[in-house]
Amino acid sequence: MKTNIRLNPDKSVQAFYLFFIIHTSQIGAGLMGVPRILALEAGVDAWISVLIAGVYLHFIAYVMLSILKSYDNADILGIQCDLFGKWVGKTLGLVYVLYIFQLLLTVLKNYIEVVQVFVFPEMPIWLMALFLISLMVYSIVGGFRVVVGTSVIFFFLTIWLAFTIYKPITYMDLEHFLPVMQTSPWDVLKGAQQVTFSVLGLEILLFVYPYIQNKKEAALPVHLGVFFTTFLIMLVTVVSIGYFSPDQLKQTVWATLSLFKIISFSVLERFDFIAVALWMMVIIPNLVLFGWMIVHSLKRLFNFSEKPSLYTLAVLLFIISVIIEERIGLNELTNWTGRIGFWIVFIYPLFIYMVIILKKLLKKGQTS
Amino acid sequence: MVTRFPMSAEEFMNIVKEELNDSPDLIQKVFQIKGQSIIVQYIAYQIKKDRLERDLLEVITSSNNRWTNEDLINKIPISSTVQEEKMDKIIQQMIHGSVSIYIEGEKNVVLFALQNQNHRSLNRAETESLVFGPQVSFTESLITNLNVVRWRLDTEDLVVEKLIVGERIQSEVRIVYLKSLANNENVETMRQRIKDLKVAEVEDTSVLGQLIEDSSSTVFPQLIFTELPDRFCTSISRGRIGVMVDKSPTMLIGPMNLFSFFESTEDLYMRWNMGTFIRSLRFIAMALSIILTPMYVAALTFHYEIIPSTLLVSLGQSRATVPFPPVLEALLLEMLIELLREAGARLPTKVGQTMGIVGGIVLGQAAVEAGFTSNILIIIIALSALSSFTAPSYLMGTAIRLIRFPMILLAGAWGIIGIVFALSFLVIHLLKQKSLGRPYLSPIYPFQWNDFNDSFFRVPFPKNTGRSKYLMTKDQDRYSKAKASERKDVDPT
Repeated sequence: MKTNIRLNPDKSVQAFYLFFIIHTSQIGAGLMGVPRILALEAGVDAWISVLIAGVYLHFIAYVMLSILKSYDNADILGIQCDLFGKWVGKTLGLVYVLYIFQLLLTVLKNYIEVVQVFVFPEMPIWLMALFLISLMVYSIVGGFRVVVGTSVIFFFLTIWLAFTIYKPITYMDLEHFLPVMQTSPWDVLKGAQQVTFSVLGLEILLFVYPYIQNKKEAALPVHLGVFFTTFLIMLVTVVSIGYFSPDQLKQTVWATLSLFKIISFSVLERFDFIAVALWMMVIIPNLVLFGWMIVHSLKRLFNFSEKPSLYTLAVLLFIISVIIEERIGLNELTNWTGRIGFWIVFIYPLFIYMVIILKKLLKKGQTS
Repeated sequence: MVTRFPMSAEEFMNIVKEELNDSPDLIQKVFQIKGQSIIVQYIAYQIKKDRLERDLLEVITSSNNRWTNEDLINKIPISSTVQEEKMDKIIQQMIHGSVSIYIEGEKNVVLFALQNQNHRSLNRAETESLVFGPQVSFTESLITNLNVVRWRLDTEDLVVEKLIVGERIQSEVRIVYLKSLANNENVETMRQRIKDLKVAEVEDTSVLGQLIEDSSSTVFPQLIFTELPDRFCTSISRGRIGVMVDKSPTMLIGPMNLFSFFESTEDLYMRWNMGTFIRSLRFIAMALSIILTPMYVAALTFHYEIIPSTLLVSLGQSRATVPFPPVLEALLLEMLIELLREAGARLPTKVGQTMGIVGGIVLGQAAVEAGFTSNILIIIIALSALSSFTAPSYLMGTAIRLIRFPMILLAGAWGIIGIVFALSFLVIHLLKQKSLGRPYLSPIYPFQWNDFNDSFFRVPFPKNTGRSKYLMTKDQDRYSKAKASERKDVDPT
């Protein structure tokens, strides 16, 4: 496998699309329930956890960009093969693929669960899975440009949901935040780790980088995307802590979605129905981008042609999502995805970066 | 058939007769002048007889010298003259309205073009009427249409390319664009697609349009068909490419994006703020037209909660007597509206209006009183039907009405989840469309902030100095911004 990818310019996109790609792959199922998970660990100081996680995210984004910059036009799959040799590199690539598959499955299952809880208790899982997977396949078949387009358009179609949060803000009780710094620093850090699941998706940078035209300007959109993600998580966390009482928050599984319950317009009594349904549009870029990553990686690693592997992926995803039924299983799955993702996305790049630096030092030592 | 001139008069006349299948309208006449046989042949209804007699026959018969082909070309006051020696070409020209003259013993046949075409004169536009602005519409005659286009685009920059399409019945096709503006790749795509056509015949521009479209599986039109010269010429002067087909009053323009289907030239003639207002009204109307009825169905079938309690009471009252589920009720009324529209389109104008009143008012009123539908649904259906008619492009309006039906069904089956699924599918579907290879959803994706000027808003002309980026015109600026805002007023304040 070649380390660097050569592309014809039709397939590549401008750097500023990285903002949409990174942001929409990060925001998804995680955002729906992140306030409660944080509150369980860090209590009312959850917002400090988000702050720490945000700073660390920027750091990791910087590390990822540095890794990519040390090659011409490579993605993580090529870099792994270059650093560790063909077999280890391909195995590590396969680990990535499996992890993304799990992530995809978790996002899918989480949203189906939400639909069942909020809108249609009797909605069969297989039908929802069919809806979402068919949309995913339909978009990925269009190629990389359609995949990026999906992320851009669905961003614009859903971002206005963030403005509706003004209503819960007016009901916030600032006393909920007091006393500040009551939680132990260890718990706050653990809370920061819990943010992981909500911000998984940053790793897509390691895959799409070769598809960017003006790579010199890549840093700004990446950091903006990460910043915007952190900002949204911060927003819902702060508003949730202020809006719900501490005990209530610990029992509200999908706190972000519950915030929508209070919003009503003169022509629309219960906005949360609309919001939950529209959340499908938040989920779709997730599915599409992750699905593309899998198909693209399989092509890079084992030279599988794209359409058969896409259809296989769709069928596998469908079968597995129907098999896992109970809420317990889903919780377990989400936890595991968070934990694995933490190591793969937030720790592993550091390791790669160190290896690259060591290798450079060694080369310098040899030549001089 | 290999025929060699010179040949005898009888031989030539027989061959022509045979080639034209013994047409009863073939006129063959031999003049004997100064011992010369001059054969005049034409198809009676294809030529202008008065000109034939005045300009041609009179000159020929009154001459004192023997005629040669050279004399025919030089001395007869008709400018479009051709010499032909191939039989099939001669026949073809005669069919198109030429008079063939053969002097026995010559090696060529001389053909004079005296076409007589009957076509209507320029009329007011019917399908795409404007409130103000130019009112004229194209006709079926390519010559008239070219004349109109030349008159509106009065520049040597205008290129009119001629192509012939159709293997059995040939049609003349013209590609029109501005040389210094239109993107070469676009022109090349359009030309190539038309040239590559292998079809028996092309009935109309809209058929040609469907043949050269990027995707034929979608309901959305990818190229605009228009009957308005001002729309056609405005598009060309912006760097688009136009196609004209003989015998068709509609013209084709490309490349297009989704939003240009909601533009009307009227937006340009109005002040910018009104233009923007009306354009955004059309976008809102489109959204309403797609969403409104499915939302009603979804809300009444599954999600009573989202309807405000005050409205719910009156809704419940008006629906209390309706025996059908909301899906059926909505489909029934949608069908009714579609039937009214179709019947109105087929009937003569005067009867059509009566139809509208009878169908719309009487039927609607009776349907509610008979407990067939609820009042509110009637309002909603009427609103969404009205909205779909605001699209300046008739085909786009039809497409929007069509996608409403699957959406109503999905809403009836899975409520709001079905609606969002359908909308998501629609968006991804639109993302994948292209028009002449250019992205259909531009300027949203690929994102071009500058192009919002011409698609969503109509900014004041002094501010709108750039051209649409997605057309990739050779010249990116309309005019300089500084000069446009420069004032030379009498009043120096």
